[in-house]
Amino acid sequence: MDESRLMNFRDAVLEALFLEMRADPNVILVGEDVGAAGGVFKQTQGLFDEFGDRRVIDTPISEPGAFGMAIGAAMSGMRPVFEVMFGDFMTLCMDQLVNQAAKVRYMSNGAARVPLVLRTTMGTGANLGPQHSQGFYAWAAHTPGLKVVIPSNAADAGGLMRAAIRDDDPVLFFEDRLLYNSSCEIASGLPIVPIGSARIVREGRDVTIIAIGRMVAFAQEAADRLAKDGVDVEIVDPRTILPLDEATIVGSVKKTHRAIVVDGAPRAYGVTGEIAATIMEQAFDWLDAPVMRIAAVNAPVPVSRSLEPLVRPDANTIENAVRAAIA
Amino acid sequence: MAKPSHAERLELFRRMLHMRRFEEMVIRLAQAYEYTGRQHLHIGHEATGAAVAMAMRAGDKIHTTHRNHGYVIACGADPGRAFAEIMGRRDGLNGGKGGSWHLCDAERGFQSTSAMVGGSIALAAGAAFALKLAGSGNISFAHFGDGTLDEGVAYESLNIASIYELPVLFVCENNSKAGQRPSSMLAAARLQDVPAALQIHCELVDGADSDAAQIAFQKAADRVRETGKPVFIEATLERWPGSHQVKAAFPTGVTDLSLALNLDKVEGKHADWIKQSDPILRATRALIKDGVSDLVGLLEMDAKVNLLMEDARSFAEASPFPDASVAFTGVFAS
Ligand SMILES: Cc1ncc(C[n+]2csc(CCOP(=O)(O)OP(=O)(O)O)c2C)c(N)n1
Ligand SMILES: [Mg+2]
Repeated sequence: MDESRLMNFRDAVLEALFLEMRADPNVILVGEDVGAAGGVFKQTQGLFDEFGDRRVIDTPISEPGAFGMAIGAAMSGMRPVFEVMFGDFMTLCMDQLVNQAAKVRYMSNGAARVPLVLRTTMGTGANLGPQHSQGFYAWAAHTPGLKVVIPSNAADAGGLMRAAIRDDDPVLFFEDRLLYNSSCEIASGLPIVPIGSARIVREGRDVTIIAIGRMVAFAQEAADRLAKDGVDVEIVDPRTILPLDEATIVGSVKKTHRAIVVDGAPRAYGVTGEIAATIMEQAFDWLDAPVMRIAAVNAPVPVSRSLEPLVRPDANTIENAVRAAIA
Repeated sequence: MAKPSHAERLELFRRMLHMRRFEEMVIRLAQAYEYTGRQHLHIGHEATGAAVAMAMRAGDKIHTTHRNHGYVIACGADPGRAFAEIMGRRDGLNGGKGGSWHLCDAERGFQSTSAMVGGSIALAAGAAFALKLAGSGNISFAHFGDGTLDEGVAYESLNIASIYELPVLFVCENNSKAGQRPSSMLAAARLQDVPAALQIHCELVDGADSDAAQIAFQKAADRVRETGKPVFIEATLERWPGSHQVKAAFPTGVTDLSLALNLDKVEGKHADWIKQSDPILRATRALIKDGVSDLVGLLEMDAKVNLLMEDARSFAEASPFPDASVAFTGVFAS
């Protein structure tokens, strides 16, 4: 019972849903094809069999209406997990998300609350083209009142989903589809990971890479290569971009004196700018070099196999940036 | 409207064959190249797509969904460039940036195709708005599946088209028959109840019956041109068993026209679809029965189409991947 298990990202999030749905009858799952079909990425398999159609609810292809329904239900005592099949379809939910979910607690002076999780998939790398490859977490984090979670591995994904469901505010949970099959050891009981705490993925002395989501794996690959040349990289995974664990990030940079921020979404007005500015504000005197940013180019994601890899960072881009930073 | 002439019926069939053989080649390419994640093929919808294409005139506009290949081909886009786009090659219709779900061909009125369910319907209303203001006499076509009526934008677009009297033909391919896995969940008894409530003239057609579709879409397009008002056609279709392909496959085999006269030979899990629902085989039977052609004539036509698709495939295979710089350009006009 107290043994750890090897589990992949998809299954860890699924287990979190099983655990929380068993623990609290108010937790419901709402989305397209989440029921008997088990999710288009097999990410909800088994939930319908255990919890039935009163708690695992298939919706029409009506994202704004169905999401609004979930928000209203959350305000009225439920804890819905609302699933948006592809993150790109979140745009259809934006009004309900930004003008309702994010605001009602504040606007009602605390009388209303929205304990809800919006879970969605995202990410490039599968040749799905401009309308099926985006990650809108920076958009979401720009809206006061929304918490934003971006797990990079199975253990964090499971633990953060548990925390997100228990949270009393709207939490957006972004899952990179290309991480679904990546596994790691998960401690027994799927420990809850608190929202707002970063993780030091790897300790090092020479430079800090702050990376989110799938970019963490690329950073690790780059760090392994750099280690062969004696470059000692520290990697920090914020895990949640709002709230952001500024103390862990700043503490790491004060130790290494160099920082590179990596994100897989477009660079303009995105996560890298926010984190880089935070470092400048809080650790300027400790920096030996300007904070560097690596992110996707400011262009839609092209479908072609040859073009798609060019628009987002990978281990090579990160490795080259580190070499430039320490040169 | 008069019954289509023999020549018109043969032309419709020729386009249908292009569509079918194109999609079959897409399956072969997917098996050979792993070029893309998912495909939504238009197999089984050929009669509808070809009838819509034949009702279009130069200068008309059309907006379609993810399931767009058939329309693009029926409208006469170069199949080689369409294959190249699906394979992400330089000579693709969109230069390798859009892929299967987004084929477009502005010269033929295809301004964009949307993989967001509901994306096409509002844009088509917008095209109708522009065509009306320009006074060109042209009309706009909106293609979408029954799933689009789940989306709020469908109601808004239908309402807007009705209020502004926009010359748009709404083409709803309904492949959600009772007993199958539905692609929509609608409380209305019939899809048409929705546009009808918004005072839009509605028609219902068996979308796999090439003769019925040809007459219905021509009539509807004429009506839109004459009245300047929208028309909604629901085309009912029996979903092809491979319609959502994650792994490329031929669940109903490679189409064989001669089976049209040998239906007892058809067996297997999907025999019903082949015998009753395949619009190509239905059209083959009808053309032969009405003396429009004999089987030999149709097989000759088919052989030509197959050769054309082979050439188109070679063209696409020879096309290189796009130049890297293409990834970063074209976001803005300048
Ligand atoms: C806004 C949006 N929501 C969900 C999807 C996922 N999706 C892709 S195809 C599809 C079904 C569409 O059904 P329909 O419009 O009837 O077209 P069909 O595939 O049956 O031809 C869905 C839900 C999407 N692409 N866009
Ligand atoms: Mg459908």
